[in-house]
Amino acid sequence: MSEQTSEKQTTGAVQTTGHAWDGDLQEYNNPLPRWWLWCFYGTAVFSVLYWFIYPSWPVGQTWLKGFGSVSYTVADKATGKEKEQEFRWNTRSLLLEDLSDAANNQQRKDMLAKVQAAQYDQILKDPKMMEFVRSVGKGLFGDNCAACHGRGGQGVAGMYPNLTDDDWLWGSDMEQIHQTLAQGRKGYMPAFGPVLKPEQLDDVAEYVLVLSSETASNEASERGKAIFHGQVGGCYYCHGADAKGVPSQGAANLTDRIWAIADVPGQKNLQDKKNVVKNFIATGVNNTRIMPPWKDRLSPTDIKLLAVYVRQLGGGKQ
Amino acid sequence: MAQSSALPVEQYNFDIVRRFMIVSMVYGIIGMSVGVYIACELAWPFLNFDIPALTFGRLRPVHTSLVIFGFGGSALFATAYYIVQRTCQARLAFPWLAEFTFWGWTAGVALGVITYMAGFSQGREYAEFEWPLDIAITLVWVAYIVVYVETLRRRTQPHIYVANWFFLAFLLAVALLHIFNNLAVPSGLLKSYSLFAGVQDAMTQWWYGHNAVGFFLTAAFLGMMYYFVPKQAGRPVYSYRLSIIHFWALIFLYMWAGGHHLHWTALPDWVSSLSATFSILLLMPSWGGMINGIMTLSGAWDKLRSDPIMLFLITSLSFYGMSTFEGPLMSLKSVNALSHYTDWTIGHVHSGALGWVALVSFGSFYHLMPRLYETKLYSQTLVYVHFWLATIGIVLYITSMWVAGIGQGLMLRSFDDYGNLAYTFIETVEFMHTPYVWRALGGAFFVAGVLVMAYNMVMTVRASQRERAALEAKLAAKLAKA
Repeated sequence: MSEQTSEKQTTGAVQTTGHAWDGDLQEYNNPLPRWWLWCFYGTAVFSVLYWFIYPSWPVGQTWLKGFGSVSYTVADKATGKEKEQEFRWNTRSLLLEDLSDAANNQQRKDMLAKVQAAQYDQILKDPKMMEFVRSVGKGLFGDNCAACHGRGGQGVAGMYPNLTDDDWLWGSDMEQIHQTLAQGRKGYMPAFGPVLKPEQLDDVAEYVLVLSSETASNEASERGKAIFHGQVGGCYYCHGADAKGVPSQGAANLTDRIWAIADVPGQKNLQDKKNVVKNFIATGVNNTRIMPPWKDRLSPTDIKLLAVYVRQLGGGKQ
Repeated sequence: MAQSSALPVEQYNFDIVRRFMIVSMVYGIIGMSVGVYIACELAWPFLNFDIPALTFGRLRPVHTSLVIFGFGGSALFATAYYIVQRTCQARLAFPWLAEFTFWGWTAGVALGVITYMAGFSQGREYAEFEWPLDIAITLVWVAYIVVYVETLRRRTQPHIYVANWFFLAFLLAVALLHIFNNLAVPSGLLKSYSLFAGVQDAMTQWWYGHNAVGFFLTAAFLGMMYYFVPKQAGRPVYSYRLSIIHFWALIFLYMWAGGHHLHWTALPDWVSSLSATFSILLLMPSWGGMINGIMTLSGAWDKLRSDPIMLFLITSLSFYGMSTFEGPLMSLKSVNALSHYTDWTIGHVHSGALGWVALVSFGSFYHLMPRLYETKLYSQTLVYVHFWLATIGIVLYITSMWVAGIGQGLMLRSFDDYGNLAYTFIETVEFMHTPYVWRALGGAFFVAGVLVMAYNMVMTVRASQRERAALEAKLAAKLAKA
């Protein structure tokens, strides 16, 4: 307390409060800065205005609704005519306004109605509708499908099918694509490890490589062919007598050079290629290739739009 | 002076201040390094190596708890115990209880971090501790209050210095927030369910969350500022009147603002508007603290040229002013519609956390080091090095988060000619990769600065030990002669 009169005070005009702590710790008694005070009042005025515009203070069982308003078009219940109506500002009315007044909203509404009414083949033939499908589909696909199939639909080798190639495991008809999306799919292939002898697995793998022209026909592949088309292997049940796959079974076409699961293109030599095919035949597919059903998560229109979007991603055969 | 304080009982209990300062530095280095690591995970996701304990979701609360409670909390214990003793001219009350707060707090933070990595979390931001730890923290906090208030009661000064008001408000408010936000029904040793449900639960959480910022990271650090700025400047605080007005305004207004964390959610519109306006009203009371700190230097600005510690303190106040301007701006519903759920928020938090909280703590620690260890600071130059590393780090961090956040916000609200969304979410994630890399770099700069500080501190302590040994040898020789 002995250091109350500080020499450090330079102005002379402003006094300290007369208290001192810890030796030299003192406080000037400067008035509140004018600009600070006025700005503080300014924020108070701003707040009061805000309370008048937006819903604010609770009063009893309700609250001040605010004078702010938004207007948007609604259909009259009695006549069905659309007309502009004014509503109090709140989050819900603001959303409805946004939805009804969004840029090009009318164009979007019209296009949506057109797509909803059209058949699949009509949409596919109409460039204007297809442009619209690509516009909506990009977002729908990006937010729902891209997590597995990739943003461009390229898939993940061995896990999630590539949607941009010409290969359609479950069929490329619009009805089939629609069903894939709405109902989901579950891929299955029995494990042949317990059924076939190792040499037989070798032979079948050899034949599968011949089918996709990875190697020329030989003695082993001929033995494999017999197993494939005979009762021992019975592969033709699902993959077809021509080995071109059966979409209703989700069975792959083995004659093209597209590999959904076994990473044949990634192998350096024939022996390795054969091994990956053989391992795959031995283990089969069970509970690992599942496309979830979307009918309960997306609206019928969204599924329709996505089906067309996916179809145009893959080009595909008719 | 030097001889009398070398050996016998100190006038004040500085031992606990020293230990809290060291723990604060240790937790700070670990916590900020974890921060840099998870920043890298966001830029290069493979870095979680598919190990659950290392994933972003588990390490993120490890980072926040270590820096807020480990670094910031321990810094507040250290400075509160230092300031209350010096401004009351009274030795810390109940030394055994103070000892309990040290071990309790240090162990609490460590256990919390371990449980997070093991996957136990309440899932409440900044309050992830499960219920047994919450109870332990409550006990430590009550002990903290008892020690603090009793020391204040034993003061030999007639008046209570302003820094102590802020610490008192912080102690009471944090106790209140911690208890109510953590009301939960236990259903196992490390599992519980909140007492509240739905939007009320969310509102309770953000009442807590926002006031954790308001009282833990603002009021208490203002207390720190009110002592160390005038002390380091050697000048009186600018305005006693301003300190009273802005103190009460700040304390009253902060409690109402939490709802702005929940704009455009199921929160009723009226709660949303009220919390937006209370946030706007908070702007000038927050700036009151900044003005009082910066204007304390009025007439002695040249100190910024010669005193790197002053540079830390004044820069921290500038960042405080900037982030308390940015905060009310972001709390307006229309701005929030763009900023919410983007990295703008992360950038805002870090301009406060790194720019204000960390810098004011570093400045205070640099002020404390020579006084607690009774020697000169090892290197002034290294303080400058630390200052520039920290400042560059903060600027890189904030600007990259503005780019990432505002960029993503704009992408998410842009439409094509049909009024359909122009970008998918994943495209915004791809866009943010580059800013994320810059952010990690900014964080690395900041951590590098703290490591420089730690080195400076270790060398200062060592010098102190050498000097003390020499002094004792001299005394022994003198005694032997006599």
